[in-house]
Amino acid sequence: MKKFVNDPQQFVPDMLEGLALANPDTLKYVPEYNLIMRADGPDQEKVSIVQGSGSGHEPAHVMIVGRGMLDAACPGDVFAAPPLDYVYETTKLMASPKGVLLLVNNYTGDKMVFDMAQEMSSAEGIEVKTLFINDDVSVEDSTYTIGRRGVAGNFFVIKAVAAAAERGADLDEVIRIGEKVNSVTRTMGVALTACTPPAKGSPLFELGEDEIEMGVGIHGEPGRRRAKMMSANEIVEELLGPVVRDLPFREGDRVALMVNGLGGTPISELYLLYGQAHKRLAEQGISVGRSYVGEYCTSLDMAGASITLVKLDDEIESLLMDPAEIPIRVF
Amino acid sequence: MSSTDLADVEFVVRSLAQTAVDKEEAFGDLDAVVGDGDLGYSLARGFEKVLADWDSFKRDDVATFLQQIALAISSRIGGTSGPLWGTAFLRASAAAKTLDTIDGAAVVSMLRGATDGIKARGNSDLGDKTLLDALIPATDELERQLAAGASPVQCRAAFAAKTRECADATSALEAKRGRASYSGARSIGSPDAGAAAVAIIVERMVADWP
Repeated sequence: MKKFVNDPQQFVPDMLEGLALANPDTLKYVPEYNLIMRADGPDQEKVSIVQGSGSGHEPAHVMIVGRGMLDAACPGDVFAAPPLDYVYETTKLMASPKGVLLLVNNYTGDKMVFDMAQEMSSAEGIEVKTLFINDDVSVEDSTYTIGRRGVAGNFFVIKAVAAAAERGADLDEVIRIGEKVNSVTRTMGVALTACTPPAKGSPLFELGEDEIEMGVGIHGEPGRRRAKMMSANEIVEELLGPVVRDLPFREGDRVALMVNGLGGTPISELYLLYGQAHKRLAEQGISVGRSYVGEYCTSLDMAGASITLVKLDDEIESLLMDPAEIPIRVF
Repeated sequence: MSSTDLADVEFVVRSLAQTAVDKEEAFGDLDAVVGDGDLGYSLARGFEKVLADWDSFKRDDVATFLQQIALAISSRIGGTSGPLWGTAFLRASAAAKTLDTIDGAAVVSMLRGATDGIKARGNSDLGDKTLLDALIPATDELERQLAAGASPVQCRAAFAAKTRECADATSALEAKRGRASYSGARSIGSPDAGAAAVAIIVERMVADWP
């Protein structure tokens, strides 16, 4: 397997250094804790929004640090929760009189580390809360989770809580919004190929040439079933059906629709999936208020995609529309 | 609080750390039966860090000392072992904060803090086939011995014996938590690796007690 790697152990630090060098005006890199933070942070006038998780899901989370999105992100190694001291020191560095919100996708290792960091930081007098995101409808439990996994839908929780924090909301209000968005966000993904972590150098799991994993997790965890390759429209049907039924989304609902690439799928294919998903929703009387197509939460170089729906109301839609400035840009 | 208190706590932590490092392979083998075999590696890496940083820990009081140990362990041990063992030390530290002297009752209170912390963090309880199945009954036994007026030597011996007895008894249980739980009924017949490791650690600690 060919990859751009020097020392696999240095993969994450090397990536973070590049990210910082490319964005000197907006980002600050603290190598001791893998920390990427806003260059002008922490803002003492607002709640600090921090996301931590394993690396390998870029642009989540280190590449969505910026005004209107995350104040900081502290990644672990590829697919590994950050060590406790990274999260603990990050929380101390991001402390604000208005408090700190730690956003975490619901995986066992992450949950334990962030709960502990919260406990230790609280003992030092920092006002800090943790919010776990669990939008994946594929499986209730997996090897890596207590309960439902958090996947690409975390983008909407981050966007909404960050917008609320910028508007000056206090910590309780920010959490209320985060919990609300999480409660109306549902996702399911599919893998066409496995992904290859730099330190492993070989695919993380076996998938035959004509096989796909329906309901795959963002670390390649098994989903609902292993299936034979099928047409794009059939795949949309298998992803969208469980997502719509889960909340459930109903006729008359207005939604945000995201087709998220897992890292190894061309954007042309993502738009193809989007088109079919949009039409299928319209047939069910569900209107798409906001559309998102691209890479938001990836699994390294995995070919595949996930579909996320968020049930919109005026409050959520307004928060999603607030401006944000992050390193991912096209101009 | 006397300096003897801190010396005893230091002995306990150092003995634990040394056993975890010395028994890396043995603990790994215990875990490999039905778990993922990384218990020995995880504990050894975490407690190696404790031994390496030994002289740098702040020793203002027992609580501060134990909090530093918690951070050292958790920052190095990955997976679930780090948070679980780190939480045990963190909660023992919180319990120590409220104590004036480290006597038998204080030890019980710190152990209760540790096991309650593991329960909460791991979402586990007695009967799930974890180290709690050795540590909680042993703490109960220690409390009984203290109430009956046993000497420190008798207390330590009883604590170690109960830990071993209960660790061995986990063989009959089906794992409900951790990687071993994916083996379901196949986990019956061998002791829980965490409980067995705790028994080995406690036995050596008691045998070496100064």
